Amino acid sequence: MLTMLTAAVLASLAPLQGETDTTIAVPAGASLSVNNFGGSIVVHAWAQNRVKIHAEHGSRGGMEASLAGNTLTLRAGSRHGSPSVVDFEITVPQDMALTLSGTYTEIEVDGVRGPISAETVDGSIDVRGGSGIITLHSVQGSVTLADATGRIEVNSINESIELSNISGQIKAETTNGNVSLWGIKSASVEATTINGDVEYEGTINDGGTYTFDSHNGDITVSVAEGANVTISVATANGDIDASFPLPFTGLREKHRYTFKLGTGSARMEAESFQGDINLRRPAEMHMRQKDKDKDKHRNHNQDREEP
Amino acid sequence: MGDQVLEETLTADSIGADAALAASGDASAFERLYRTHVARVHSLVRRMLDADEADDVTQDVFVRAWEKLSTFRGESAFGTWLHRLAVNVVLGRRKTLGVERGRFHTGEDPLEGVSGRRETPEVSMDFEDALARLPDGARQVFVLHDVEGYRHEEIARMLGVVPGTSKSQLHHARMALRRYLDR
Amino acid sequence: MNDQWTDRLSEYVDGELANSERTALEAHLATCAECRAIVADLRKVVARAKALEDRAPKVDLWSGIHARLTPGRRPGVTRPWRVSFSVPQLLAASIALILLSGSGAWLALKPRQSAVVTPRPDPEFAVLNVSTRRTDAAIADLQDVFDRNKSRLDTSTVRVVQQAFTTIDRAIAEARAALVADPGNAYLNLHLADTMRRKLELLRRVNAIAAAQS
Repeated sequence: MLTMLTAAVLASLAPLQGETDTTIAVPAGASLSVNNFGGSIVVHAWAQNRVKIHAEHGSRGGMEASLAGNTLTLRAGSRHGSPSVVDFEITVPQDMALTLSGTYTEIEVDGVRGPISAETVDGSIDVRGGSGIITLHSVQGSVTLADATGRIEVNSINESIELSNISGQIKAETTNGNVSLWGIKSASVEATTINGDVEYEGTINDGGTYTFDSHNGDITVSVAEGANVTISVATANGDIDASFPLPFTGLREKHRYTFKLGTGSARMEAESFQGDINLRRPAEMHMRQKDKDKDKHRNHNQDREEP
Repeated sequence: MGDQVLEETLTADSIGADAALAASGDASAFERLYRTHVARVHSLVRRMLDADEADDVTQDVFVRAWEKLSTFRGESAFGTWLHRLAVNVVLGRRKTLGVERGRFHTGEDPLEGVSGRRETPEVSMDFEDALARLPDGARQVFVLHDVEGYRHEEIARMLGVVPGTSKSQLHHARMALRRYLDR
Repeated sequence: MNDQWTDRLSEYVDGELANSERTALEAHLATCAECRAIVADLRKVVARAKALEDRAPKVDLWSGIHARLTPGRRPGVTRPWRVSFSVPQLLAASIALILLSGSGAWLALKPRQSAVVTPRPDPEFAVLNVSTRRTDAAIADLQDVFDRNKSRLDTSTVRVVQQAFTTIDRAIAEARAALVADPGNAYLNLHLADTMRRKLELLRRVNAIAAAQS
């Protein structure tokens, strides 16, 4: 059953209260679009064919919802023409496709199984789950994605990107931040930054392509024993360090070396202008990560002990 | 026979490999290059300048070579490249020391009346000693032309004279040295 | 005793006389034993010069040289560039390194086996040289658009974006500087082009964001 809701109807639901609560039935296969200006968008999933919305907008703000065809659109409304700050908390059907955007908006998504597009200017994006086409863009905000599968494109400008437990095609790019890829199963990975490190812990599939680029930071890539990969490593000012012997059977130009492991089937490019290139075994990378986590914990505890 | 060729190739090419390693900062590889080439460089420097300066200038040559190794493209043999660099260092040194054109001898036997200049004035000098005692201009032209194989046009440019001067200085040097051939 | 030909004898020995002069001199040589003797001597001097032996210095100069090989003296490099998996590790894997002079290609030989590698030509350079000019122009255009529209963005976003521009511009400058020292290098050329493309994409993206602000 299709329900047409108009702004007028919604606004009248909570005219003077600071919040709106409503649940809207949606057809199977519907998608959700949320346009915010300031505030947050938090999305969870459930098994029902309805969208539950809780919006806190203050007495001056409001929320508009409209359902046209298969798309439910929620917009941060305002009574007086100026954009308002709305915190959305939305529960959606598991497979609902999401398009979320905002300017000063933090976006959090957990548990959905469908495609996700999230875009913000000033605000972090944290997504757990998702499949299909996943596009996450922030300008000033870190971006994290976990437990997702599909064609993934993640961008930040001034912050870091963290991807974990992902399978599929990956493109991750930032300018001033690290790119960290862990637990990746992919045949196509592109991770680049200008001012930051790149870390990759994941598969190297036969025939796959893997590109890791930085200008100022280190590149650390895990290469499992038995990987079949042609690795082209380049750095103008940094060191190249491998934890295992690298058969130097390829070509060499100044600043760039090519190596071939096994059949050389996959193609990997690890390049940093000023930083080091480190090629490691997976076990080493896990040890390093454990040590890093331990340090983080230690610092945390120290902070808490301060008088 | 094939093995011998391979061995020779490996020798020449292992110098090339050392050059590449040294260019990437490997000081041990550069030391190997030093050991291979120092005799030639030192002899060139000694003959062009003099024995007192040869050690210092030889060091300068190798330090400069290290700095410029990143520009060595492997298009010629490393030895040839190093050699040219040594000549440049020597010529630069000449200018710094203000070697004047007046040092080019014009006429009489350049070696006449030179005895007593060195510590041990020998009754019979050998060829190299005689070479060392030539006036700077004649000696340098001789070294560049007859020992190192440069042509008069190049030598004239390098030394800042006209080719005619280079030719006449060469002739003077040879004429002076011919008396010391058999020693 | 000198005659008019004595001073030309070196040129004669070196084959630098014009044909007419040579003919005249040879005619003279036929009659002048002294000049013939000088010619013979000159040839011996030349041969002796070629046979001069090289002598190593009396003291080992290496330590003095080594002391002066500081990493800071390498032009255009801010820190030493070391390849830490160098020869010993590779030799452990039974592979020898050979530099083919003239081609600049590295070739790995397993003992008793040879592989021929054609040096990869560097086609990227010529193409990249042209496209950076066009990219420069595109960047300048988009920069204009940004400057005109940035008032649509709030100041903190503009600041963040400017920071990102600064980061990329610095990276571009560093890549360009490295290229000056090494213009033919494929990696440096590609890296510069990539970094400039990043600037282009960033400009496009922020312009789109600015345009979307109403």
